[in-house]
Order: sequence, then structure tokens, then C-alpha cells
Amino acid sequence: MKSAAFDYVKPNSIEEVFSLLRQYGDDARILAGGQTLLATLNMRLSEPQLVIDITGLKALRGMRVQDERLHIGALVTHTEIENSPLVAQHAPVLSQAAPHIAHRAIRNSGTWGGSLAYGDPAAEWPCCLCALDGTVHLQGPDGARRVSATDFFQDLYTTALEPGEIVTGADLPVSTAADWYGFDELARRHGDYAVAGLAVAARFKGTVAQKVNLCFLGIGAVPVRAWRTESVLAGKTLEEATVEIAVASLKAELDPLPDLTHAPATKRHLATVLARRLLTAAHASRSAITA
Amino acid sequence: MAELHSLQIEVNGQKQQRSVQPRQHLVDFIRNDLGLKGSHLGCEHGVCGACTVELDGHIVRGCLTLAVQAQGCKVRTIEGLSEDGDVRDLQEAFIRHNALQCGFCTPGMVMAAKELLQARPDATRTEVREWMSGNYCRCTGYHAIVDAICETLAARAQKGTGQPTDQVNA
Amino acid sequence: MELSGDLVISATRAQVWAALNNPDILAACIPGCEGVEVVSPTEKTARVAVKVGPVRARFSGRIRMDDVVEAERCAMSFEGSGGAAGMARGQSQVELSDEGQSTRLRYTVQASVAGKLGQVGGRMIDAAAKQMADQFFAAFQKHIAPAVEIGALDSGSPRPASAGGGDVVDAPSGSGPLASSEPGADAAPSPAHRAAGRPSGQAAAPAAADEWLRVKWFVLGSLATGLGVWIGARL
Repeated sequence: MKSAAFDYVKPNSIEEVFSLLRQYGDDARILAGGQTLLATLNMRLSEPQLVIDITGLKALRGMRVQDERLHIGALVTHTEIENSPLVAQHAPVLSQAAPHIAHRAIRNSGTWGGSLAYGDPAAEWPCCLCALDGTVHLQGPDGARRVSATDFFQDLYTTALEPGEIVTGADLPVSTAADWYGFDELARRHGDYAVAGLAVAARFKGTVAQKVNLCFLGIGAVPVRAWRTESVLAGKTLEEATVEIAVASLKAELDPLPDLTHAPATKRHLATVLARRLLTAAHASRSAITA
Repeated sequence: MAELHSLQIEVNGQKQQRSVQPRQHLVDFIRNDLGLKGSHLGCEHGVCGACTVELDGHIVRGCLTLAVQAQGCKVRTIEGLSEDGDVRDLQEAFIRHNALQCGFCTPGMVMAAKELLQARPDATRTEVREWMSGNYCRCTGYHAIVDAICETLAARAQKGTGQPTDQVNA
Repeated sequence: MELSGDLVISATRAQVWAALNNPDILAACIPGCEGVEVVSPTEKTARVAVKVGPVRARFSGRIRMDDVVEAERCAMSFEGSGGAAGMARGQSQVELSDEGQSTRLRYTVQASVAGKLGQVGGRMIDAAAKQMADQFFAAFQKHIAPAVEIGALDSGSPRPASAGGGDVVDAPSGSGPLASSEPGADAAPSPAHRAAGRPSGQAAAPAAADEWLRVKWFVLGSLATGLGVWIGARL
């Protein structure tokens, strides 16, 4: 159906954005890619008075590597990340995850910052950023601040964003030769919201995994780091026996929320399927390199 | 409540100027203000793909794009794409394979496939299916559509029609 | 959607029962609640502003109590309409039992959401209901648990919340006004704990604090108005 009427403004400065947010409060909505917002407005699941288009804020565009970290601006689109040689080199897990985000037409408009700001439990970027121990950049009328990804996503659709603040970007540590990254998700159809997904960031010495970050999407209200299983894996070689130990650990550790069509047990099982796949792939890849 | 915004936009190579309500999305503008009925509306919340149009060289969901967001941009609809002849071979393949019955999804399908042909000229059948999964068809069962696209990919590869061009947002 | 929970509240059964039936306390504890009215001893209506992710919907609903055993148990049925967003309906069962000086509260909820919210938000309903219930019970515990500091006036962010404190920011989609769920206390580490800690859950203490705030703002407002009138008169 059609959206209810609203006013539209496209500020040239971030100060203007803050001023409007202060004035309108929750009656104003931020528009970047609009792939979530406009669907919501079209269905009249929200009827704001004002839509603030922030795509005029050029400082929020672009990607760059600085001090061993890759910084991605809030307005960078999913397709830009998908196609970026910088990302492929420095944060390959993002390149792997990008094709899973909805569909191409949506990826051409949707943004990195939008995905982080909403913090959908099935979203790819919040999961990847948590796996990488990245940092979210926020800015408000009182200034700029940074929040670690694992602290940023607090509860269902609840982030550390205060009213009046916007996400300006996020940065993450760049990949090194000792690192292996993997991403996979399971959905009923390609492009659907995932039932479960996993981002793995591992640092190896030979075939010994010194550190393995496991972050799940679609399992909880926020991206779920499997801390206990991560410590089980640290310092181990990821052969079959170890992978099965990790799977057993995950079964004990994960406490998935159900959704309309999947019981917690199903989600738990699917999470272990993904873990098996990716940990096995990591081992195969590192064995091939060090062979 | 909302005041009208003045919109300058180029559609299928023609410059247009209109006054629009902010809430009006791009496909409603194209269909109702410009009379171009080739772009269709199915779900109006971004999942069916019938509304797919080209904005500054890349496909977007027309129902999830406000007309005012396209201020100063170049839009191409199925009408413009057909006239330009970019995908004449694909369209002919569609007909040969009976890849359209009622035709409602077809403009969106052709738009989405167009970007695949540009960005993924060596796509496998699986990759074609994944790429096109954002466009729904209620008539054909999809295989004929995938067949038409694969055939076009193969024919172009054989002819060696240039390098992949993956246009991204400016 | 089905949910159940089990929590201990530091108050007597009679106190807990009274609080659960008190419209002002309910209004203060239900996330996003804008008001609860008593229609009869076994029926209430409520208005709740639901805010989950991009969604903003106002639900108005009705809660009916059946099988009431005073201070011990009751069954509730609820239904709410969210306008264009859809509808919610369900049942819940609540049981109170003594646990030393405290009360053990056990509940189960079955709820469904229909309409667009159900269609689009279907995959979120369990998570949203759990969040709403966590927030409700966290606020409820604060409301009726005795050890609350009056000095909580300046801690956190004293957004001048309106009476009935429905100023909660993060209410999830509607399983109706009184969708109860898991206790905040023993849920997984981060989410419920943080949710409970957010400045939005109105505690009982700032009842006095709220009043003081209101007086302060009223005085400021009057002064500002007076000044404005004085300036205006001079122009």
C-alpha cells in the first residue's frame, strides 16, 4: 500500500540533522538507503512527520585503510562493499557475506550504516562486525564517540545509539596472512532473512588456530558470540575430532530463540551445521597453505 | 501536511520536471505522472521485484525509492531499455523460451537480468538462479526465465562482447 | 507464540497480586504504555505505543481476567488492535506461590499477531515478546520491591517522563498489552540485563522525583512565559 504523508528534507550538514532530530524526536526518521524504512512506511507500520535524507552528508561515504584498520562510512552501499577490492583484500569476510544480503537491487541502495543502526538479528553486517571485534562510530550533538560492536548491539533492535545520534561508520582490524575468514548462512530461499548464519574470524599459526571468533546471526536477539566454544578451540588444530568437540560445546552453549517456523532445537542444529562447515573449511584451507 | 517538492529528473533520456509529494515512490511517479506503465507494482515492500527500474545505471526497487530521492538522477525503465536495444538478445531469448506468460513480472526480470549480464558475464546457472531470486513469477515456474538468461550469457561469451562492467553507486 | 517464565519477587503474595491488578503500576511497567483503565474488577483496557526496530504502532487493547483465585492465580485473555499494523490476541496464566518472605510468580503466555505486523514481523514475535516481558518484569520488580532509593532523582537520564512513566524506548511488537515473559534476572548475560538497566524503566522511587521535576519545569516554564510576555509587551 502507499505511505502516509510526510515532509522530506535533505540536509547539507550533520549539524542540521542533529537540530532536526532534536526538534522532531521520534517523529522524524533517518533515510539513507531506505530499504527498511520505506518498506515500513509503505505498509504504514510507521507514520513519521518528517523524513531526513542523510545521503547528502558526503563525509559518511567512502572506505579507507588507516592504522591497520579498515574504515567504512555509514553511507557505503552493500554493493560497494561487495565489489570493493579494498574489502576483498582487508576484510574478506564482508565480501563473502555481501551476496547473502537480500537481492542485488536492494544491495544497490541499502547501506552499511543502516544495517548497523537497525541491528536486525538476522542482519549480516552486525554479525560480521562482532566477529571481527569491530567498532561502531556514532555522532550526536554532543560530539562523536565509539562503541565496540559487541557492546553496541544490546537487545532486539536496541543498540547503543541514543536518540539524536546517528551512525557515521564503523571500522575493523585488517586481515593478515595468518588470518582465515568464513561466512555462511542458511535461509529457505536465497536472499530471505537467514534462519541462522555464522561469521568466523580465525588467526592461525600453521594449522593451529590460536584464536577463533564465532559469531552467529539469527540465533538470538543480537549477534551471538560463542565465547565458551571459542575458548575451547583456542590453541587447537581444527581436525574432525576437535570440530566435533566444538559442535558439542555449541549445543550446550547456544540458547536460541525460536521464530515463527523454527524451534530452538532446529536453530541450534543449524548453527552446528554451519560451524562444522566453516571450521572444516578453515582447516582444509590452512592445511593446503602450510602443506 | 506535506508540501510538494519540485523534481528534476531524466527518464529514458528525456528531462522531466514535476511537483511531487515526498511520499510518492518512484514507480508511482513513473506510472502516474509520466504515464509509463511498463514498471509494475506487486508487493510494494521490496520483495517481489516487479518494480525494478534502473537508477543512475544500476537496478533499484522502484517501490523503495522516493521520487524525490531521484532528484537530478537518470532513470531508465523497461521502455527505455527496450528502445536502447541493450538487451535485445535477452528479450528475444525470453520469447523463444516462453519465459513470460502474463508478463507481469517480465519488466522486472529483464531489468534484473540486464545487470547480471553486465556484472556477472560468466555466471553459472546456480549463480543466475541466486541473482534472480529477488524477482517472483507466478506463471512460468522460473526455469524458462533462467534458460533464457543462460542462453544469452553463453551467446555473449561466445561472441566475446567485452569486459564485465559492474557499475556501482557514485 | 508461546512463552513461559518463573521468577521470584521480593514482596508478599498479597502485595504482588495487588500490584498486578493496579492500573497505575501496570501502566508504569508495560513498555510503551500510555494508560490503563479499569472497566470492571475483571476487565481493563490499555493503550500501548509499540516500538520495535522501524515499526511504530499504537495498540489499544482489552484484558479480561477469568478463573480468579485471589492472590493465587488467574487466567487472562487479551486482544488488541494496532490500527493499520494489525492485531494481537492471546491468553496467559499466572500463578503465585509463597517463597519464604517472597513470592514465586509463574506464568505462561500464548499469543498470536495477525495482520501486517504478523506477516512482516512474524520472525520477530518470540524475541519481541520476550523483550517486552523482560522489561515489564524488570520494571515490576523495581516498582514493588521495597529497597528503592529516593536519591535516584539525578541518576541516569531524568527525561521528564509523564505520569505513568510510559517512556520506554524499546517496546517490541504487540503480543498485546500484558504479554509477560522470561524474568530479566536469569536470562542470558547481556541483553536482558542491559535492557533492564536502560534509563527507560520507570522505578517507583522517582514518583517523588518525578513530582519534583514537574514542579521545577513548571516554575521554569512560568518564568519563561512571564519573561516572554514582558518582552512582548515592550515591543
